[in-house]
Amino acid sequence: MSDAPLPSDTQDALVPVTVLTGFLGAGKTTLLNHILTAEHGRKYAVVINEYGELGVDNDLVVDADEEVFEMNNGCICCTVRGDLIRILGGLMKRRGKFDGIIIETTGLADPAPVAQTFFADEDVRAKTRLDAVVTVVDALNILQTLKESPEAHQQIAFADVMILNKTDLVDDAQLKQVEDTLRSINAIAPIHRAQKGNVKLTDVMDRGGFDLQRVLEHMPDFLENPEHHHEEDLSSVSLTVKTPLDAGKFQMWIGALLQEKGADILRTKGILNFEGQPDRFAFQAVHMMADGNNIGPWKEGEPRDSRLVFIGRNLNRPQLRRGLESCAVA
Amino acid sequence: MSETLTLRGLIEKRGASRVVEGHITSCAASRDHQRFAFTTGEGDVIVAHRSDLTDAASWATYAVHDGPALSVTPDTDPHGFLTGGDDGRLCRLDMHGEIEELGKSRRWVEHVLSYVDNKTSYIAAAMGKQVELRDATGRTVLKTFEHPSSVSGITFDAKGKRLAASHYNGASLWYTQSKSDNPRLLEWKGSHIGIAMHPQGEALVTAMQDNDLHGWRLSDGHNIRMSGYPTKVRSMSFSANGKWLATSGADVVVMWPFFGGGPMGKPPAELPGAGGALCTRVAFHPEQEVVAAGFADGTVLMIEPATERVLPVSLGGNGPISALAYSADGCMLGFGTEEGLIGLVDLAAA
Ligand SMILES: [Zn+2]
Repeated sequence: MSDAPLPSDTQDALVPVTVLTGFLGAGKTTLLNHILTAEHGRKYAVVINEYGELGVDNDLVVDADEEVFEMNNGCICCTVRGDLIRILGGLMKRRGKFDGIIIETTGLADPAPVAQTFFADEDVRAKTRLDAVVTVVDALNILQTLKESPEAHQQIAFADVMILNKTDLVDDAQLKQVEDTLRSINAIAPIHRAQKGNVKLTDVMDRGGFDLQRVLEHMPDFLENPEHHHEEDLSSVSLTVKTPLDAGKFQMWIGALLQEKGADILRTKGILNFEGQPDRFAFQAVHMMADGNNIGPWKEGEPRDSRLVFIGRNLNRPQLRRGLESCAVA
Repeated sequence: MSETLTLRGLIEKRGASRVVEGHITSCAASRDHQRFAFTTGEGDVIVAHRSDLTDAASWATYAVHDGPALSVTPDTDPHGFLTGGDDGRLCRLDMHGEIEELGKSRRWVEHVLSYVDNKTSYIAAAMGKQVELRDATGRTVLKTFEHPSSVSGITFDAKGKRLAASHYNGASLWYTQSKSDNPRLLEWKGSHIGIAMHPQGEALVTAMQDNDLHGWRLSDGHNIRMSGYPTKVRSMSFSANGKWLATSGADVVVMWPFFGGGPMGKPPAELPGAGGALCTRVAFHPEQEVVAAGFADGTVLMIEPATERVLPVSLGGNGPISALAYSADGCMLGFGTEEGLIGLVDLAAA
């Protein structure tokens, strides 16, 4: 299998960072080595936490310490990886030696502090961007792992892309069950099937160019998860509003919502149509830390619907829908 | 290859500059004030000799580290330098240009310091959670200080009796000659990212991730909050007399008064900046009440706090000032930028 060429870098001067998560044995390091050795002509700096499982074949490998600290706002969900701030700052001193950075997290890591580092630290924000959280899932063992480990749920909830690995070890029925389970937690991240980490590079790297809008548009409504599930389980809620939104009202509403429920809402993503704005607005948040920017104009004739997805626990769909609808212009 | 910039200010008549490859990570003068070294993100150390100060082409380049050199400090001898790097090596660069590897760690050697008086000499190097205290030769590790998380900054007190290290949730104060292996722990929740010791030992100050400073009055451990910055404070420097703590992190030079009961309950003084550019580096003159400040637009100024008189050292530079230091006699001032500009000024020249 040959990898499609990666799109050439845009004027975007920020260094893309890919975060690889997944349980031990899911095949993270295999995927990492696959990415590093593929014919893409790109050089990556790799930040790893675990020595041992498999060696990483790369010139520039930095050992991280996974030092999480709480921000001083007194909130337990607002955690950041201080070691990553330092390491990314250090790597920026040799800018030009690599095209991107890949961070491999430990099997049991909650991805939130890693993702939040890209929102919380001004220096990290000024020089890098979180391209995607890629979660490697072991098709054979994931259902069992999910029963035993809350971290596995978090890793799936945080994924921008899921790599369903070891698909050769399960039959079609099992595969479908696994995919349905993953979907019930994270309705938005594409799932790519793989064996021994053999994914197309374009599926995991440079996802910055990946069209969130297209995914949101094609997101079926069934994802409200028809099966009975417990409130504390992670799930996704997707909302669409056809009337343009008032930017000020939206900021007020989402700010208050995340402040109040941010500990339960792991991720929020959306493409929004603000009244009077020619550009689409891309919004995203990790727990309470939010960010947004204009991503270019709507296409001629396309419906200017605002779409927002929440991934979290205790999500009250009617309440969220009413809240978003209240942001529509009068 | 040799890019040139037209710089204005003191550097025109009394100094020289050059553009080298890589981000300038730190700079320092040797103890005899005859050499000045700059470290780069390429792992090079560029050494200027005072006698050739204005001839930048004569400054020598040594490839010391594989990966960025992160820190430079004068060696315990009068002539050389000590450097730490991303390659985990602690190195000596002597006056002949010989490189000696003093230590090798799996962690980045992010901070290197030396202390010399007529009785004792030490070398300290921070790598990961450890700080090694070495003898004057650097070849013997006297003590290894362990911390609960990575060390973000180290400093000796003015007498070499104590070494302070900043880390998560506070700072540790170690006694260099003590038999005990326990530090005095100064606690404050959060991520502390840099450290400075008051020259008369009155206070220890750390910079924090949350855009403010924390201090401890060392006599009684009393907490001092110093806040109001728009960004993180990456550079702090006390005046020799201990009256002022100059800091980066705002578009002016923020100076906290350590006199008249301050800084508790006292607002900081704000010295003029560089037309809105963020101050990125500060360095107090080793004797006089004059502070050098570097800015995000490449400007370097010397400012006298009492009169607010400003002396432009270098205008028209490229990129944020990322390194700034005086020689210990106060006669040389060197600086570097993220874009590889290095500059050196002879302040004693007639
Ligand atoms: Zn929080």
